[in-house]
Amino acid sequence: MSGYVLRRLAGMVAVLLVLSVVIYAAFYIAPGDPAQIACGLKCSPAQVAQVREQLGLADPVYVQYAHFLGGIVAGRDFSTGTAVMHCHAPCLGISYRSGEQVTSMILQRLPVTGSLALGGMVLWLLLGVGTGLLSALRRGRPTERALTGLTMAGNAVPVFVIGLMLLIVFCSTLQWLPFPSYVPLTSDPQAWFWGLLLPWVSLAVVESAKYARLTRSSMLETLAEDHIRTFRAYGVSERRLVTRHALRAALTPVIALSALDLGTMFGSAVLTESLFGLPGLGKMLVSSVAVVDLPVVVGVVMVTGFCVVLANAAADVLYAVADRRVVLS
Amino acid sequence: MSSHPLAPRRLAALAALTAIAAGAAACGPKSEDAGADATPHQGGTLTILNQTPQTKFDPAREYTTGGGNIPGLVFRSLTTRARKAGAAGTAVVPDLATDIGEPSQGATVWTYHLKAGLKFEDGTPITSADIKYGVERSFAPQLSGGAPYLRDWLTGASGYQGPYKDPKGLSAITTPDARTVVFHLNKPEGDFPYLATQTQFTPVPKAKDTGTKYQDHPVSSGPYEVVSNQNDGTTLTLKRNPYWSQKSDAQRHAYPDRIVVDSGLDPAVIDQRLATGSGADADAVTTDTNLGPAELAKVNGDKELASRVGTGHFGFTNYLAFNPKVKPFDNQKVREAIAYAINRTSVVNAAGGSSLAEPATTFLPNQATFGYTPYDPFPAGRSGNAAKAKALLAQAGYPHGLTVTLTASTSDANQDGPAVAAAVQDGLKAAGITVKLVGLEDDKYQQDIYSVASEPGMFLSGWGADWPSGGPFLAPIFDGRQIVKDGYNFNSAQLNDPSVNAEIDRINKITDHAAAAKLWGKLDQRIGTKALTVPLFHPVYKRLYGKNVRNVVISDWTGVLDVSQVAVK
Repeated sequence: MSGYVLRRLAGMVAVLLVLSVVIYAAFYIAPGDPAQIACGLKCSPAQVAQVREQLGLADPVYVQYAHFLGGIVAGRDFSTGTAVMHCHAPCLGISYRSGEQVTSMILQRLPVTGSLALGGMVLWLLLGVGTGLLSALRRGRPTERALTGLTMAGNAVPVFVIGLMLLIVFCSTLQWLPFPSYVPLTSDPQAWFWGLLLPWVSLAVVESAKYARLTRSSMLETLAEDHIRTFRAYGVSERRLVTRHALRAALTPVIALSALDLGTMFGSAVLTESLFGLPGLGKMLVSSVAVVDLPVVVGVVMVTGFCVVLANAAADVLYAVADRRVVLS
Repeated sequence: MSSHPLAPRRLAALAALTAIAAGAAACGPKSEDAGADATPHQGGTLTILNQTPQTKFDPAREYTTGGGNIPGLVFRSLTTRARKAGAAGTAVVPDLATDIGEPSQGATVWTYHLKAGLKFEDGTPITSADIKYGVERSFAPQLSGGAPYLRDWLTGASGYQGPYKDPKGLSAITTPDARTVVFHLNKPEGDFPYLATQTQFTPVPKAKDTGTKYQDHPVSSGPYEVVSNQNDGTTLTLKRNPYWSQKSDAQRHAYPDRIVVDSGLDPAVIDQRLATGSGADADAVTTDTNLGPAELAKVNGDKELASRVGTGHFGFTNYLAFNPKVKPFDNQKVREAIAYAINRTSVVNAAGGSSLAEPATTFLPNQATFGYTPYDPFPAGRSGNAAKAKALLAQAGYPHGLTVTLTASTSDANQDGPAVAAAVQDGLKAAGITVKLVGLEDDKYQQDIYSVASEPGMFLSGWGADWPSGGPFLAPIFDGRQIVKDGYNFNSAQLNDPSVNAEIDRINKITDHAAAAKLWGKLDQRIGTKALTVPLFHPVYKRLYGKNVRNVVISDWTGVLDVSQVAVK
């Protein structure tokens, strides 16, 4: 088991390293000069050169990359002009645009995206697994057809259309809900919940369809297996059969998929974050790409990558819990 | 916003987003006691719903026109823009200083005296040394981003890297006493009072300077001070600065007790929230979100909503630019033929219709302050003069028409995308000119059109003024000495005409704005006959504001509602 954990950890580090190299490389191939952008289009070449020097962009690429790696391990010092600002390990550098520490920028936005992703996942799992289960048990009946139609419709509409419709109906026309905004859970749990409800619902509507389909097919497959038939022959009640035996096995692929979705949600909930004005990671990533703010881009990608890798590892462990035939080796 | 001579469109748009907002004249009815009392009162909280966060909330790093809209609530500078509706709002007026500046030695030396009793938010007096220090720190590469004029204008400043590297400071700025500051320029600049509206002239107390961290809590000299600045300017909360006095500030009103800037929002959501006006949104405005053609049509269908739309004119021209180094645009007759062929009615429609764009035949915006002199060197009428264009093409050696390429952005957001390009294409088709359209993603588009090396032969472009004067509008585009070979170049025709350059120098010496404006107008007319650009239209801004918002003032300087005038009680 410890060998397994070590191998997984080494794999995670390798993935993150490769990610950072790819982003650095892409950055130097892509158009746009961060020094010119930070300085302004009307800056003279001499002035741009000063800014480039200040941002550390005058160094060779490999030196910049080495500084970046060094910062993660040991931290770095930056000058604010009037004082020295220490950026503690793991230091992801400072933003070219704002001069803020990337680590703290990410830490400020992580709870936003985390709240959105986790809450959204709870809802889309309830909705997706619920309808999937119901569809499997009511196979061929009108209930199944209605549910399938509804989830498909939800999946077919882009999240910003659903989101905007929800906003217009619930916040504008009916005025049952406030327009969404992010309030930290720690400062006001109730405002946190109401502020995130519509974003969660939008995500759930879009995401749940594939979970419904997956749960349904996986459930049907499991229900047709020999051991289920045997249980049934032994007189195990239908309810017990479904909840204790069939569902458990049927959920294995669902766990794998949710882990992946949850991980990617940390960098890719851009549309939802933008529409609802939630200051999350995805939104920061997109605005940073636009101004070639490399440290922030690398930082967010690394954190997203970390979340994906972590979520996958968690999925593997859950696999083994859900399905005893799986052995971690 | 941009603050000095012409700014490229995106820069100006950005500037407009981050800094300005002006409002127009009508007072919105108060929702509950509609029409009963439109007088603005103190109190309440004003909410500002924006797309773009107030990143870099440091006076050295802001690029504003007239000191900006939101920045102007916290940062005062030596001069500022008049907070009046329409053309009256294009005047430059004193702010911290007693007048807009005393020129001497042929407008190369500008002297300012500070008003008596001015204080920072902590109660310490504002002195001339704080102004000097504020200007100096804007030269630090750590605090880049502001308008670059001072580097060119101040004597011996071109290599200066700010007080962190060079604490001796700039000898071009002297402070004979605590209330006097003198700027020594290396050339005459009659527009110096306009530049002095920018936040680089905001006082910064040296003892409180924290370098790149200063943006978290800059020390206020204006009516409001920062309570909190979250997520890099995404949520900015301001409260009254007890040491600001209305007596020392003839421009700002500061009616609300608090101001909350909530940004990072989607434009559709901003419009929806302003229209709905539930809760705090009834007391809300936006300083960066214009109504597009579709939203405007919807709003106009609702009387109550239509009464809450502010209309503004920011000095801006959208135009067709030529690169005469690329054939066949080296031939003036070809350029003239294209100018005659433009169908301005369809171009204006493509830009959102007559309520969002006004047809242009002059490069200067249609406002007196720029020196607007109506002229039309190649009269195309409302829908283009195809016959005249064909005749010119024949003279140019293209009796059977020709095929050219038009480069535009892939986004219509700045009215320089596919919609306007297609309208230009249609007009030219009638004159026998086949136009192939090339759309470039915004970053690439900007990089290509502003680089001498990659500049296309014909492209859509736009220019807005850093301040409302002819100089900042014409010089960057037509002054041959401003051609930049290895950076961003705005003189797209690469015009280097000694007589034009000399005329620009001559007008820059004039400190009487009205007299200078007349000459800028004449110069615009003269350059216009060369057909180096084809002016297409001047955009108009339409913005929604909340139900309880009163005292909406929109100047022609900024074109957007001025948050220093708004009341919510």
